[in-house]
Amino acid sequence: MTKYVGQRVKRTEDPRLIQGLGHYVDDIRLPDTLHVAFLRSIHAHAFITSIDTSEAAHAPGVVAVYTGKDVQKVGPVPCAAALPGLKVPDYRVLAGDHVVFVGQPIAAVVATDRYAARDAIDLIMVDYEELPVVVDVEAAAKGGPLVYEEYGDNIAYTLTAGEGDIDAGLASADRIVKQRLVHQRLAPIAMEGRGVLARYFPGEKELTVWSSTQIPHLLRTQLAIMLGMPENKLRVITPEVGGGFGSKLNVYAEEALLGWISMQLGKPVKWIEGRRENIQATIHGRGQVGYIEIGCKNDGTITGLRYNVFADMGAYHQLLTPAIPTLTGLMLSGCYKIPAIQMNVTACFTNKMATDAYRGAGRPEATHVIERALDLIADELGLDPVEVRRRNFPTPEEFPFKTATGLFYDSGNYQGALDRALEMADYASLREEQKKARAQGRLIGIGVSTYVEICAIGPSQATPAGGWESATVRIEPTGMVTVLTGASPHGQGQETSFAQLAADELGVDMDHVTVIHGDTSIVQYGIGTFGSRATAVGGTAVFMAIAKLKEKATKIVAHMLGVEESTVAFSEGRFAVQAAQAAAGGASSSAGNSGRSITIQEVALAAHLAREIPPGSEPGLSATHFFEPTNFTFPFGTHIAVVEVDRETGEVKFLRYVAVDDCGKVLNPMLVDGQIHGGIVQALGQALYEELVYDEQGQLITGTLMDYAVPKAAFVPWMELDRTETPSPVNPLGVKGVGEAGTIGATPAIVNALVDALEPFGVRHLDMPVRPESLWRIINA
Amino acid sequence: MKIEGTQELRASRERVFQSLIDPAVLQRCIPGCERLERTGDNAFATTLRAGVGSIKGEFTGSVRIEEMRPPEHYRIVVEGKGQPGFVKGSGDLDLEERDRVTVISYKGDLQVGGTIAGVGQRMIQGAAKMMASQFFAAIEAEARTEAHEPPPKHGFFRTALRWLSGWLRRTRSSI
Repeated sequence: MTKYVGQRVKRTEDPRLIQGLGHYVDDIRLPDTLHVAFLRSIHAHAFITSIDTSEAAHAPGVVAVYTGKDVQKVGPVPCAAALPGLKVPDYRVLAGDHVVFVGQPIAAVVATDRYAARDAIDLIMVDYEELPVVVDVEAAAKGGPLVYEEYGDNIAYTLTAGEGDIDAGLASADRIVKQRLVHQRLAPIAMEGRGVLARYFPGEKELTVWSSTQIPHLLRTQLAIMLGMPENKLRVITPEVGGGFGSKLNVYAEEALLGWISMQLGKPVKWIEGRRENIQATIHGRGQVGYIEIGCKNDGTITGLRYNVFADMGAYHQLLTPAIPTLTGLMLSGCYKIPAIQMNVTACFTNKMATDAYRGAGRPEATHVIERALDLIADELGLDPVEVRRRNFPTPEEFPFKTATGLFYDSGNYQGALDRALEMADYASLREEQKKARAQGRLIGIGVSTYVEICAIGPSQATPAGGWESATVRIEPTGMVTVLTGASPHGQGQETSFAQLAADELGVDMDHVTVIHGDTSIVQYGIGTFGSRATAVGGTAVFMAIAKLKEKATKIVAHMLGVEESTVAFSEGRFAVQAAQAAAGGASSSAGNSGRSITIQEVALAAHLAREIPPGSEPGLSATHFFEPTNFTFPFGTHIAVVEVDRETGEVKFLRYVAVDDCGKVLNPMLVDGQIHGGIVQALGQALYEELVYDEQGQLITGTLMDYAVPKAAFVPWMELDRTETPSPVNPLGVKGVGEAGTIGATPAIVNALVDALEPFGVRHLDMPVRPESLWRIINA
Repeated sequence: MKIEGTQELRASRERVFQSLIDPAVLQRCIPGCERLERTGDNAFATTLRAGVGSIKGEFTGSVRIEEMRPPEHYRIVVEGKGQPGFVKGSGDLDLEERDRVTVISYKGDLQVGGTIAGVGQRMIQGAAKMMASQFFAAIEAEARTEAHEPPPKHGFFRTALRWLSGWLRRTRSSI
C-alpha cells in the first residue's frame, strides 16, 4: 500500500528552487511599490532627546518619514508566553524616547527605491542621552544598571520547576558534581532574511501582507490586533521561505509597520532585511548561563539534579522569549531515570536583542546540561561515559516513562539506538586506537551524546497559541487532489512528504497531488511549522482528513451501486464491493454488484455532478480535520563524535561522526537525512565557531558574516547516519519529528569529544564555542 | 578598545609639542580632518572624514585638550558622530627627548558604536594604528620646519613617502 511513504522521494520543491523559479517575498513585484528602510539605535541604552527628520523628508525620492510618535496607535509587539509574575515591557514598533538595544528601530523612511530610502536614513539627526548599559546576564541578575527603571530590577521572571525531593536526592548521593556552563548567544542566520511586502486597498479596506514567516495564521491574528483592523480584512501570504530555524516563528515590529505604512499611503510597501539587520535585530537563540549540581551513587546512578540558570531575555520579549527556558526545564531529565530534578530560572533583561526560539529552543541547552553532567560523573567515578548512560536508562518496557520534570515520554528504546551507534563506530576499537594515539602524543577524543527531545508541539494545553494543526483534502472534479495544510513550511519539504502521504492513502499518483500552504485566504486556520511538529501534527491532520473524505466517498459509492456501505472497501484508489460481505448482507442487488469497483476519481466527479449522491448528503468531495495531539512525542538517538586536536594550532579535525536517530516512523528518509545533516552542522557551529559578542557598551561586534562564524561546507565532516524506528503511540502515523534532533544531539557529542581529547591536560569542561585559541592555550600552558 | 604605541620623531620636543597643540597644524596633519576650529580654551570643533574598510563617512565632534604640561604631556579627549556611527575616546601623550629624537608614547581608550562597531571592529585597531603613524609622520615634517617657514605639504604621496622613509629608518636601526 505504501508506494511512496518510506521511500527516498526527491523533493518536488527543488526543481523550481534550483532553477531560480521560486518566489520569495523579494521576488514579488507589484507596480508602484515603495521601499522602506529603518533607522536603528546605535546605542544600547539611551534616551532620545530629539529626532530631526526634516532633511531626510526632503531627500530625493523620499515619500514619508515616520518616528515613534507617528505610530502610537499601532499596538505593542506581542508576547504569547504567559508565566506568573512575568514583566512584559511595552515594546513599540518604533522607539519612543527610550532605546534599549543596538538595532532597535527608531524611524522608518519610505522612498521610491530602496537605495533612496537607505541614503535618507543617514540624514536623520538623533540626539541621544546615553544611559548605563547592562550586557552580562549574571550582572543583570545581581542588579547592575537597570534596563527599565520602573521595574526596580532586571528580573523578567523567576521560576522553580521540577518534581521529587531534590534535597533528599542530593543528600543521598555518594558524590556531587558541580559545573558552571555557558550557552552562548547565537544568530539563527536563515539564508533568506526577513522580508515584508504590504498592500492596502483603501476601497475594499483590505490589507495583504506577504511575509517570510513560519506562522502565517498566527501572524494574521496578531497583526489584526496590532493594527486594530478586522482579521477577516487581513490576508497573510507566505511564499517561498528560505529557512527560519525559529527566527520566523515570531511577530516583528517591521511586519506591523509595513502594514500600517501601506494603509497610510495606499500603496504597496516593501522591506527586505539586510544581513546586518538580520544579525542585529532578528531574534537570537540560547543565551543561558547555568550551574549544574548533580548527585550520583558510586555506581553512577543519578540521585538528583539541580540546575540554577540565568536566562538572557534581551531587552524585551518577542513572541515566545520567556517560554524558551521553560522548555529547558522540561527536558533536564534527558533519557535518564532521575528521581528528583529542580530548575531555578532567573530570567533577566539585558541591553541586547531579544532571544527566542532557535532550532531546538531550550532543549539543546537541557541536553547539553545533562549530557555534560553524565560525562562529568563518568570522569568523577572513572567509568566509561557509555556505561554511566546505560546505568541510568529506562528500559523499553518502562514507557510511557514519567520524568521528574512532569512529562510522559511516549515511547523509546535508548539502548537500541546506543547499541547501533556503538556498533557503527566500533566503539571498543576506537578506545583502543585512542590509547595508542595518546601514547604517540596525539590528542584524540571520543564524545557520546544520548539525547531525547520533545517534539510534535504540542497538546494545546501546553502550547502558548494552540498546539493542533489543520488540513483540508479535496478531490477536484478532474480527480486531482488538493491538500491544504496549516503547517506552512520554510524549507522542510511538506509539499513532498504530504503529497507522498496523500497519494498513498488515496491510491493516486503523487503527481496528481498538490500541497497548498501559506495563504490565509486559501488555507483554513493553522498553527505553523516549528517545534518539529509539521509531520507529526500537520501530517496527521492530512491523514485524518483523508479518512473522513474516504468515509464520505464510501457513502456515495454505496449509493451509486445500491449496496450497503459496509460492503464497500477501499484499496489502491478503488472502492470495491466485497463479494463475501455482499452475499452475507443478503440483499440481492448487492450480490449482483459484487466485484464491481469505482475509482476515487469517478467518485469525485459524481460527487461534484451531484446527481447520484445519497439524499441529504453534501455535494463535492472534501474534508477538513483539525488534529489535536494528546501528548508531545519524544524522539531520541545517539551521536558519537571522534575528533583530533592539533597540538600546534589547536585546530579540530573530525575523524568520525556517527549519528543514530529515532524519529519514529519515517515518511521520507531523504528528508530526514537532510534535517539531520543541517542540524548537525548548526550544532557544530555552536560547539566550535558561533558566538554573538556584545562589548561592554552593548555594541554588537559580531555584526557581519565576516565576524560571526557560521560553519562553511569545508568544515563539515562526513556523517555516518542510521536510524532505529520506535513508533510513537501519540499519532496514527507513528511519527515523532526530526527537525531539531541534530542541533540537540550533536552539540554535546562534539564538546564531550573535545573534553575527552584534552583529558591528558586535566580538562573536565570546555565552554562553547571551543575555539582553536582556547584549546591551544590549554595545550601550550 | 585600547590603543597604544610609541613613535620616534626627528625633531625637538618643544617644536613637536607646539605642533601638537596648534589647531592649524593639527588640521593639516590629522588624516581626513576637514575642519578644526577653536571653540574655547583648549577646546575645538572638528569635522573628520574617516572610515574603516567599506564603512566611511563624515564625523563631526569635539576635541578637548587636558592636563597640559608643556612640553612633556597632555591628554586628548575626542567625541564625534556621523553616518558610520560614533567615536569616543581619550588618550595620553607623553613626549620624551632622547639624542635629539622625540619619543612620543601614546595610550588611549577608544569606544565606537553604530555601523562602524558592527562591521569594522576587527579592523579598527589596525586602522587606528595606521592613522596614528600617518599623523605622526606629518607632525614630524611640521616640527622640522622653523616657526617662520611655510608649512610642509601633506599630500597623499608626501605622507606615504614620509611614512615609508620612517619605516625604512626604523627597520635599519633595528638591524
